[in-house]
Amino acid sequence: MNLYEFCNIIIVWLVDLVNNLWYWLGDFLPWVFGDFFTWAGDLAASDGHIAAMTILLEVLVVLIVAIVNVLNFIWLDRKLSGRIFDFYGPYYVGYRIGGWLQNIADGMKLFVKEIITPKDVDRLGFVLAPVIFVSSSFLILATIPLSPNFGVSTNMDGDFVAAGVLFAFAAFAIAPFSILLAGWSSNNKYTLIGGMRSAAQMMSYEIPLLLVVASVFLLSGDFSFVGVVDAQHDVWFAIPLFIGFIVFLVCIAAEVEVTPFDLPEAEAELVEGWTTEYCGMRFGFFMMTSYLRGYAGGALATALFLGGWQGPALIPDEIWFLIKAYCVFVVIEWMRWSVPRVRVDQILNLGWKRLMPLAMLNLVIAAALKTMGWF
Amino acid sequence: MTWELFVFMFLAASALVSALMVVRSREIMHSVVALATCFVSMACLYVMLNAEFVAIVQILVYVGAVVVVILFGIMLTKREIMESERR
Repeated sequence: MNLYEFCNIIIVWLVDLVNNLWYWLGDFLPWVFGDFFTWAGDLAASDGHIAAMTILLEVLVVLIVAIVNVLNFIWLDRKLSGRIFDFYGPYYVGYRIGGWLQNIADGMKLFVKEIITPKDVDRLGFVLAPVIFVSSSFLILATIPLSPNFGVSTNMDGDFVAAGVLFAFAAFAIAPFSILLAGWSSNNKYTLIGGMRSAAQMMSYEIPLLLVVASVFLLSGDFSFVGVVDAQHDVWFAIPLFIGFIVFLVCIAAEVEVTPFDLPEAEAELVEGWTTEYCGMRFGFFMMTSYLRGYAGGALATALFLGGWQGPALIPDEIWFLIKAYCVFVVIEWMRWSVPRVRVDQILNLGWKRLMPLAMLNLVIAAALKTMGWF
Repeated sequence: MTWELFVFMFLAASALVSALMVVRSREIMHSVVALATCFVSMACLYVMLNAEFVAIVQILVYVGAVVVVILFGIMLTKREIMESERR
């Protein structure tokens, strides 16, 4: 049973329940509303309404899974940074589960803080930038299935969005625009410099990233997640495309702005980068979304290079996928807390002069493998 | 009126209004925001035509790259000339 069928059963049950209530109300109060209740009940039981509601419920389930994963990631990040820097990390709130509740406490604190809009900001951009950033980042996760049965599908057969991998990267590519908008509209030189740095970095690392993804498409011959993962049945793409895997990890680390590449929010030079003027839950959303992009990066690396949900059948597919995604995230975090920050010229040199040729080489290797008929 | 027509009218109105805002807006950054809105509306119209690939490439190339390049162009050039003409 896939997620669509599961959600469909729940929605049909709910519609039945509500319709019984409405028909009963229609019998009970005919002189007030006429046959309004019958009409509304028939509308709610129509196929189009049930399909739309089913997809909405699917989106809700996927969203909840994503948010729980993000909470895990923030906790894991803080624990790991603590262990690497030789302290404990959060442990007091939720003592018995290793301080996991600390994230909830921090979220509550951010929720009750006042949301201040400074006087001289450009209101349109200042309010719109977090919305674009958060919504485009959640859009990435809409297309990533955890298994052939668990993802946002559009019909009973469990077909996912066409060209899902490309869609995920298109949603990834919207972020520089919102970051630049946030940096400019805050009317502050630190945010502006941070926004410019961030956009320059993201733009220049997008190119090797997409070149590596093109080599994966070349080997698998399919744009969808299911096709890409099925093509890795015999061997994970991380083995023939080893260079590409390394380039992909570095580019993802630069895209989600973790420490060797966190120039946009270098707290020693720019106060907090492009998020300086944001406070309260707006900052909380930025914070949560950066970890969400980390999760999306780990999930994309898993699906494209590490065989996705394939693994021994001892554990369910979804758990395999999450285990691999968590491993990729831990590697990125390990790099984050062990390597010092680089300079602006170094970061652009690395992007254009090292990673670009490596990505091209990777593409050539993929083409050679394809021509030799190994894939 | 079918649902498709309703959605199409909404997207077309969004594309047209945002295209008008690109030209009419006082602040040049607001023009860029309107331009991005216009591109996204066009991508949604492509989805309605069952051309998902074109829609995805529209978002990837235009919103992801062209708009940001235009933003760089705006921020790295002098703005005093335009501001003096406005008065």
